[in-house]
Amino acid sequence: MFSDPRGLDPARRQGMDWIHQLFDEMFPSGGAADIRSVPSGSFPLINVGRTDDAVRVYVFAPGLGAEDLEVSLQDNVLTVAGRREPLQESEGRTHFRQERFHGDFRRAVALPEGLDIDRAEASFRDGVCEVVLPKREELKPRRIDVQAA
Amino acid sequence: MNEITHRDADASRLAEEARRQETLLPAVDIHEENDAVHIVADMPGVTRESLVIEVDNGVLSLEGEVSIPMPEGLNPLYAEVRAQRYARRFTLSHEIDSESISARIDNGVVHLTLPRRDTHRRRRIEVQAA
Repeated sequence: MFSDPRGLDPARRQGMDWIHQLFDEMFPSGGAADIRSVPSGSFPLINVGRTDDAVRVYVFAPGLGAEDLEVSLQDNVLTVAGRREPLQESEGRTHFRQERFHGDFRRAVALPEGLDIDRAEASFRDGVCEVVLPKREELKPRRIDVQAA
Repeated sequence: MNEITHRDADASRLAEEARRQETLLPAVDIHEENDAVHIVADMPGVTRESLVIEVDNGVLSLEGEVSIPMPEGLNPLYAEVRAQRYARRFTLSHEIDSESISARIDNGVVHLTLPRRDTHRRRRIEVQAA
């Protein structure tokens, strides 16, 4: 979803195909993993990006709405919690596959310091919740005027 | 020297290609009910416009592009979703009426209904009195 997701871990092999991906999951490399990272297939998946003036968190929570997701921030750790209901059961139904997650979930990601929680905003769209956490004024990049001598 | 730069360019082109082809496998629930097979797939970030469902030669393909509006100059800090596209394919058995498949997408969840052909519907056989 990010235009250059590979930029995150430059040590990764190029031209990686599904079999490599599979092996990566089965035999994690020696590289250090984020302490709160999760195996693939967890719910919901989370992406975090940064612009000059804010940190943006994308929570991939299909089938959920704004009222189903609880987002909180404490000590730079963002927690997302909620519940996804299973499909409505009915009589005479034969199940072939049930891969989709349902039940309670709670996930946390560490964010950079210096975010202004009071101005944070969250919005839901097409099953993705976007949380915008503006940086505090003093942390925004600023231009320094160079005085003529 | 020249050869090295050449190879580098080649490698980055390959990497670019691999990235473009990399797809996410959406999680699905499949069940059968009321003379139809139902497929429910999680494709968060996919809109009605970016969802493509096709049936070709008895193969149903479900594809969608993650289309989330993002600001210019967004640098990834951490990413679990690492591709732009979802894709998954299923082979259909002949009793599925591929002409009358219907689909809807709601909050990133795709719901497909694949009805069986009339001739393949389960029917009750009346037992005649002797």
